[in-house]
Amino acid sequence: MTINTVTFYRIIRTGFVNFWRNIWLSMAASSVMIVTLIILSSLMLMFVITNYSVTSIRERVDISAYFKVGVTESQVLRIKTELERNNTIKEVAYISPADALKDFRDVHSNDENLLDSLDELGDNPLPATLQIKAKTLEDYPAIDTELQSEKYADVIDKVNFQDNRLVIERLNKILRFIVIFGVVLTVIFALIAILVIFNTITLTIFNRREEVEIMRLVGATNWYIRGPFLVEASIYSIAATIITTIALIPILMNLPEIFQYIAPNGVNNSFFGNNGFATALVNDYISNIVTSGHITLNIILLMFGQLIIALALSVTSTMLAMRKYLKV
Amino acid sequence: MSVNFTQKHKHEMITFENVTKLYGKAKALNGINLDIQPGEFISIVGMSGAGKSTLMKLIIGEEQLDHGKVLIDGIDMSTVKSKDLPYLRRKIGIVFQDIKLLPKRTAFENVAFAMEVSGHRKDKIDKDVPKILELVGLLHKKNNFPHEMSGGEKQRVAIARSLAHRPVLLLADEPTGNLDEVNAAEVLELLLKINELGTTVILATHASDLVNKINKRVITIEAGQITLEQATKGKYKL
Repeated sequence: MTINTVTFYRIIRTGFVNFWRNIWLSMAASSVMIVTLIILSSLMLMFVITNYSVTSIRERVDISAYFKVGVTESQVLRIKTELERNNTIKEVAYISPADALKDFRDVHSNDENLLDSLDELGDNPLPATLQIKAKTLEDYPAIDTELQSEKYADVIDKVNFQDNRLVIERLNKILRFIVIFGVVLTVIFALIAILVIFNTITLTIFNRREEVEIMRLVGATNWYIRGPFLVEASIYSIAATIITTIALIPILMNLPEIFQYIAPNGVNNSFFGNNGFATALVNDYISNIVTSGHITLNIILLMFGQLIIALALSVTSTMLAMRKYLKV
Repeated sequence: MSVNFTQKHKHEMITFENVTKLYGKAKALNGINLDIQPGEFISIVGMSGAGKSTLMKLIIGEEQLDHGKVLIDGIDMSTVKSKDLPYLRRKIGIVFQDIKLLPKRTAFENVAFAMEVSGHRKDKIDKDVPKILELVGLLHKKNNFPHEMSGGEKQRVAIARSLAHRPVLLLADEPTGNLDEVNAAEVLELLLKINELGTTVILATHASDLVNKINKRVITIEAGQITLEQATKGKYKL
């Protein structure tokens, strides 16, 4: 197969001419491709947003142990070291009474009354705290029980454990539903797209059967004959990708705000080993969006992904149609 | 291109060795032996269904034979891969009874089409096409569409198209089948002229008067077999 630039140009041009000659068919093929891509992209976005929510809620789960007044820092730190040896515990953070007071003042910096009364108190009323994160969500109840046991009764005043596991379970169910629903819907529309493009290319082959026959007789190579059909199929894909992206831009532009709303500081992936590498990657990626606010690159990447999928669909169906109807 | 179709002729242009072609159980060709020399003008005659078109299709590689051997310019057709066939076809011009011009293209564009297909540059096409149209006597109609031309003129455009690659061999399958006497004579004259310029011409037809007029070698095919071979000044009678 030797294709020079002149031949290449002619193949591309013929592809465009065919696209315009059957503009209504071309539009039908592109439209069904657009529907497929929009469904695929919106489901992907829904998945990403829900997944991000789950991750951010998971991250907020922790156990706080408030120590009694009068327990020394060294005592607290000893318990911290002890807890860190427990292999269900991932990390333990120590918040000293001074730190706690500073945080408190920051959070309530607008509330003059509260700060005034705090000043009047003179002494720091806040206890030392240990914030404990478990390796998996399932480990929390056991840790909770241990902290509340006799062993620590002398030093620990109160254990605060907010069990968000039910919410997380519910979100995970939604996530699974989105994935199954998404895969089924995408497969159905991908098949419809393949069929429509198959028919479009078949009709184009039928319209051009005279030309194709003559091409063969005057010695056109098989790729010279096939080329324009592949070009035509690629135009459907490119048109569909551009239109889909334009349609999705309002949502995409607001993604940083959506993610910001879910988790203002992004999420920390090191905490979510059991949610899979891909998820971690996606979350990491979103954290970047949230912190940097750059959305252009992400739109381009999404476009690129759509284009690959669209090309895979259209080229497959074109190849099938050519195999069946183009005797080259 | 892995096969060189442009070598000098040290051998026959076409050789058929005991060629048999089956369609199902029916023998379209049955033990055909035939040699065609470079520069020859040969008429293959016979009724429709006698095997003329099958013979032509074997030469351009459109059909595969079942027994025997076909050599084109010394190349065994069974060794030519299907991806190399297009290059072989650029050495063979083909003309049909139903002409097969593209209706939405002018005479010029129809001839240029054949050159475009094989990757010639536009400047070469612009230079060569008028020359070819002049050869077939239709330069003045280069901007006319097929529906603006007579049957004979259309067939001459088709011949011009088949000459675009400067073929060494021209196959004409019933080229005058749809034409009246005057137009048929025009086309035949053109084929003879092309032959005089050095191209081997194979004319398949059942028009006996046409063949009898030109005094060239005639092969008669009946039911897939050669029944009569007349070296020169051949006549054909049904």
